[in-house]
Order: sequence, then structure tokens, then C-alpha cells
Amino acid sequence: MRSRILSILLLLSVAAFPVGAQTVSQKAKLLNVSYDPTRELYQDFNAAFAKYWKGQTGQDVEIQQSHGGSGKQARSVIDGLEADVVTLALAYDVDAVANSGLLPKNWQTRLPLNSAPYTSTIVFLVRKGNPKHIKDWDDLAKPGVSVISPNPKTSGGARWNYLAAWGYALKKLGNDPAKAKDFVARIYKNVPVLDTGARGSTVTFVERGIGDVLIAWENEAILAVKDIGKGQFEIVAPSLSILAEPSVAVVDKVAAKHKTAAAAKTYLEYLYTPEGQEIAARHYYRPRSASVAAKYADQFPKITLFTIDELFGGWTKAQQTHFADGGVFDQIYGVGK
Amino acid sequence: MRRELSAVALGALVLLSGGSLRAQDQQEKTPDEKIQELDQKIRVLERKDELRQEAEADKAKASTSVTSGKDGFSIKSADGAFLLKLRGYVQFDGRFFSDDKQKPGIDTFTLRRVRPIFEGTVYKIFDFRIMPDFGQGTTTLFDAYVEARFAPSFKVRAGKFKPPVGLERLQSATDILFVERALPTNLVPNRDLGIQVSGDLSGGVVNYAAGVFNGTVDLGNQADADTNNSKDVEGRVFVQPFLVSGGALKNLGFGVAATSGIHEGTLTAPGLPSYRTPAQQTFFSYRSDGTAAGTVLADGRHTRIVPQGYFYSGPFGLLAEYAQSKQEVRRATVSADLEHTSWQTAASWVITGDDATYRGVNPKKVFDPAAHTWGAFEVTARYSKLDLDEKTFPLFANPASAPRSTTAWAVGLNWYLNKNVRVMLDYERSTFDGGAGTTSLVTDRIPEKILFSRFQISY
Repeated sequence: MRSRILSILLLLSVAAFPVGAQTVSQKAKLLNVSYDPTRELYQDFNAAFAKYWKGQTGQDVEIQQSHGGSGKQARSVIDGLEADVVTLALAYDVDAVANSGLLPKNWQTRLPLNSAPYTSTIVFLVRKGNPKHIKDWDDLAKPGVSVISPNPKTSGGARWNYLAAWGYALKKLGNDPAKAKDFVARIYKNVPVLDTGARGSTVTFVERGIGDVLIAWENEAILAVKDIGKGQFEIVAPSLSILAEPSVAVVDKVAAKHKTAAAAKTYLEYLYTPEGQEIAARHYYRPRSASVAAKYADQFPKITLFTIDELFGGWTKAQQTHFADGGVFDQIYGVGK
Repeated sequence: MRRELSAVALGALVLLSGGSLRAQDQQEKTPDEKIQELDQKIRVLERKDELRQEAEADKAKASTSVTSGKDGFSIKSADGAFLLKLRGYVQFDGRFFSDDKQKPGIDTFTLRRVRPIFEGTVYKIFDFRIMPDFGQGTTTLFDAYVEARFAPSFKVRAGKFKPPVGLERLQSATDILFVERALPTNLVPNRDLGIQVSGDLSGGVVNYAAGVFNGTVDLGNQADADTNNSKDVEGRVFVQPFLVSGGALKNLGFGVAATSGIHEGTLTAPGLPSYRTPAQQTFFSYRSDGTAAGTVLADGRHTRIVPQGYFYSGPFGLLAEYAQSKQEVRRATVSADLEHTSWQTAASWVITGDDATYRGVNPKKVFDPAAHTWGAFEVTARYSKLDLDEKTFPLFANPASAPRSTTAWAVGLNWYLNKNVRVMLDYERSTFDGGAGTTSLVTDRIPEKILFSRFQISY
């Protein structure tokens, strides 16, 4: 009798195991560590991807988001924040994660278009009626104009802002770095507050009412005009700006540990699909897909754009020259100001 | 408040800054423009202060944190890789026997357990725990181990700790339903020294543990070194098939544990256990007079098998286990393989509606007379039985002093004032059969009736 009871218990244990295992395999969890202004984009995208993944695999997927200044976010991942994917403001920050050994250094070649599924640029957001008559970068360097931009040491968006201004100065002032430095220094002399991230600068400008102009991601500026502060702001497109390419990558070691490599890879690939591109465009990011770009063409101002490779020789060189400790930014803004 | 502050500051700045503004500015700027300029300055100052506070908050997050609360006291490094927790519990018991003819024990208050617990983590995955006990006038080291958490499914523990055998034994002493554990706990080890691998599979649906231990007698708390060269292999598989999928059976769990090892005693250390009643009175011991002819020794394989299970649903709880302990013994030249068995079933109902769990009751409304909340109340009932192998008597145990079986039933009331403080009141009656009578007419040991009380604080 005893041995019969034991046999039944053991059989039940064995029989119960696959039931539990099957239940567990029905849910995957991903952590997307992203930069500041992508909150709304990824809220929508995650919901769409979860539906897509369920349809493809039958598995539920829960995607958690983490946002902050791109440089800070990269640092967090390097320090142990277990991101399955990173979707950061610039390739340099993903490179920093790659240099820590969490993903291969050729990460940019693993997805189309240098692993940048959408782009953006840098524009100006001014108060309704443009009371300071701001039209181009020169106006930001004038005395008495208060400019809001985050800290390039912590914010990816801020580095795009800075390089956009520098690129404009180079083009306009005879490709003279000394003159460009003086020009950018005059702009940053007009910056009263350095937030750590782009969203913080939007709060400073839009909610705290500080400054005459916000140098902003185009998507963030359009969001402010259409949603956050409807009727209170205007976008000014400068004559020249930079092509910003936010980059995405699977964090291989974490995904392998979490057994989410397939879901993470498909998650990023889904950004390139018509659905993913449509969602990016709806959130005011410039889509890579020609057909989706054509559909949303009216949404984006026509601006002449240069790339970081054209004027700065790539991110590594730009970072070393301008944003490393003791670099040009520290020289013009003053460490600890 | 900020707006009021701004207004005051703005006014002050208007008054004070007039002299500092350049005359040229004063000529060029209208009063409205000046106010706008000063307003911007104030806003910038406020924003900078806001950012400074945010930075300080971030910095605080990155600093070592010291916390205290219902889960104890802890010091944690900013990255969470290093942690030290100070916990502990004290159980102050009352034991009162009620018998008109003969009291089997002394009515007494006693400090049943006084256990400070030092727990921590180093380098993120290495946990440790040290728990001595100062209760009942002795000092005993109960737990001292290091555990490496390589993954939820694979942990390695080494040191002294509870072997993965008895269900009620594995339940913390702060969470057990009654003041004392039931009879089956007599047949399983208490603490032992060894190395164990364990883990949760499928999100906790399956829990496994297996290890190699010095090997200890039933109910034994192994000293810090072995007395023989052989080692025991012990393991347990416990399944909660609906833990992840949920539903009414979410907290249904069942499993089986087993041990096996060779135990060989000596005259000075026979390697055999004594068994106790719930009132902690010894009711069974093997013969032992210090001579080879009169002392029973462990002499061969000792195996245990312990099927077990529980079910919790809302305020109701049910726990059951069965234990079989087989030990080869020898007295002089006569050997036998003795098989003792025991089982119990215990039920509980939290009458205040709080959830019953294997890890105790955490009242939704803590004791707070001012708020007219009184904590959680739970009623409990238990039946348990222990049968000694018939072959034990009379050669290996004296029927004049040891009964062949005992049966105990108990009822109790538990009052959880909060997560940390608990008051217990139990009544338990044990009856004995087949020996240890007091006279030729009374052949069985007299029943044991006891009222337990306990005041417990754990943190």
C-alpha cells in the first residue's frame, strides 16, 4: 500500500512537470534600455510587437522599458542593468556597451542601414510667435537669447545638438575649427541650464518656461508642438542640420542568459517592417522606408542634412575631440560650471 | 508655495537689482522686459535647484543604503552586490501539563528559541547565513553555510543547514502551525553538515535539492564533525504544478524526499535516536547500558522516505507528510532491520480571512487598537501518529519504558499581531500503546496532555 502511494506521488510529480514547463515557456520578458525621448514610441511599438510575436510563435512577451540620457543608459548597461536590447541615441553609446564585451563590436553590421532603423535631426522649438525672431543657428549665438540644450556629457541628443551647431559653423565660416569653436562657445554661453537628458530639457523649456529656444530632437519638437504644449510653440527648421541616426542592438550576453535571443532579434527586426516604420513615423521619427517616408513627408520640414562621418570622421573621433574630459566642450563651457 | 516664493524673490530682485543693472540696460529695457528677465533668472535658479535635488537623489540611489523595517535590518551596497542583514527571533513558551495522576513533565516557562540570524551576500551571488541558538540554556550552532546562486535553477550550498527531507522540518520555526512540530519530525534529520545542489525549475514549478551529508540520526542535529567515514545521500523533489498557471490549485504542492547512508555506532556513540512527544518528553530510546551485550548499535544502512504535500487556498491550509525510517541495528550478535513510520495531517483556517501560506500568515490589518484593527486569527487542528517496528521489542528497546506507538491530536489558536509578532495557544493530547505502563494493570504509558503558549517576535 505504501509503495503504491509513493508510486502515485512520483508519477504525479513527473506528469506535472511538463505542464508547468509549458506554461512558463508561454511568456518571455525583454528589457529595452533606450534614451530619453523614445518613451511614447516604444510604448506603442512594444504593444504591436507583442501582438506580432504572439501571432508568430504563440508566446506572450512582456517588454519593459528604461529611459534616460543615452550616455547614462549605456553606462547602466555596462554596470549590470540587464538589457536584452539597447536602442540608444547614437552609435557611440552602443559601441561603449560593445567595448564592455556584452555584444560583438561589429554590431552595426547585423541589421540594415547601420542598425539605425529610423533617423531624426535637430531643430529649434521656439515660443508662439517666435518673439526673438530665431531663424537659424546664428540667432542662437546672439547676446540676450536664452538657449536650452542638455549636457553633451550625459545626453546623446545633446551631442547631436552640439555637432549640428559645429557643422553649421564649419560650413558657414570657411571650415575653420577655431571660428567654429568660438561660434559654438557663444551659443553655449547662452545656455543657462544643462539638463542630463533631452526630455529634461523639454521639461525645462516647455513646463518650466525657461529660455527662448530649445535645441531639440525633431521628434521631440513635433511632439511638443502637437501634443505637450499645443498652440504654445513653433518649430523653426535651421538651414542646415545633422542626420541623427539612433542605433539599436541586441545585447547578446544578456539575451543568451535570459534565453531571449530570438525574441530580441525579431524585436529589432520588426522596427524595419512597414508596421514598425509606420509606428516610428507616427511618433515623428523619420522612417527609412521610402513608402512610409512619402506618406509622412508633410510632417517633416525640408532641411539640408550632413552626416557625422562627413564632417567629424565618425563618432569615435568626434567623441574624443569634443566630449572627452578636457575636450572642446569642457573648454568652452567650463568644467563644473 | 513655489509661486509664492517666486513672487517674493521677484520683488526682492526688482528692488535690489536696480543698482546692479547697467544704466544702459535701464535705458534700453522697459519695466516689462526687466521683469521678464528677472522672472527668467528666478526660473533658472529654481530649475537648477530642482536638477540639484534630482542629482542628489540619483547619488543617494548609488550610495550604500541602510534600511530597517518588518523584514529586519540591512546594509546594502549601491550596486546590490554586497548585503548584510541582521534578523532573528525569540520564542518564549509556557508548557503546562494537565494530569490528575502523574505529570510527565514540569510546568515551566522556557525560552524555546533565541536565535540571532546574520545573513548576507558578497559579490552578488554568494549568500551566507549564520544562526546560533541560545534557547533553553544552551548554545548551539544551527545554521552556518555559504550558498552560490549560479542561476535560479542551480545553487550550491555548503555548510550546516537543514537537509532537504521533512516538510514540516523545512518550514521555519517561526511559521509552523503549532508550538511544536508533529511526530513525523522525529524520523527526519534536523541539521547536518554537507554540500547540496538545489534549484527551481520552470519558474518554481519543480524544486529539487540533493546533497551529500555527514549523516545524522533521526531528529539529529549533527555536531560539527562526523563520527564515521560513510556519508549519507539525501534529496527531495517538490512539485507545485499550478504555481505559474495559477487558479484554485496554485498553492498545491507535493513531493517526496529520501535519504540513504551507512551508520555504524559504537558503545560510546551508538548512532541511534530517541524520539520525543510533542511536549518534548522522550518516550522512546533504544537499550543502552554501556556494555556490548546491553547496548543497541546502528549497524548498517539507514534509509528514509518521506512523501509530503500541502495545499493552501485563501484562508485555508492543509499540510500532510509521511515518514518511514529504516535502520539496521545490532545488539551483541543479534541484528535486525527496523522500520519506524509516522504520519501527520494538519489543517488551518485564518478566521479573519487573511491568506494562509507555508510561510505563515501576514495579516492585512495589523494590531492597532486605536484603529480598531486586531491582526489575524487562525485556528488549527492536527492529528499525528508514530509506530515503532514490532521487531524493536523487547530485544532492542525495553517495553517497560517505551511504548510501541503514540498518537497525538492537537488544536490551537494563533494570533498574528503583525508580520513580526505572534501569540500561540495549543492543547495537545498524546496517547501511547503497547508499553511503558506504570503498573501491571496500567500497561500503557499514561496519556500526555499539555497546554502550550508562545510569545514570538521575529524580524
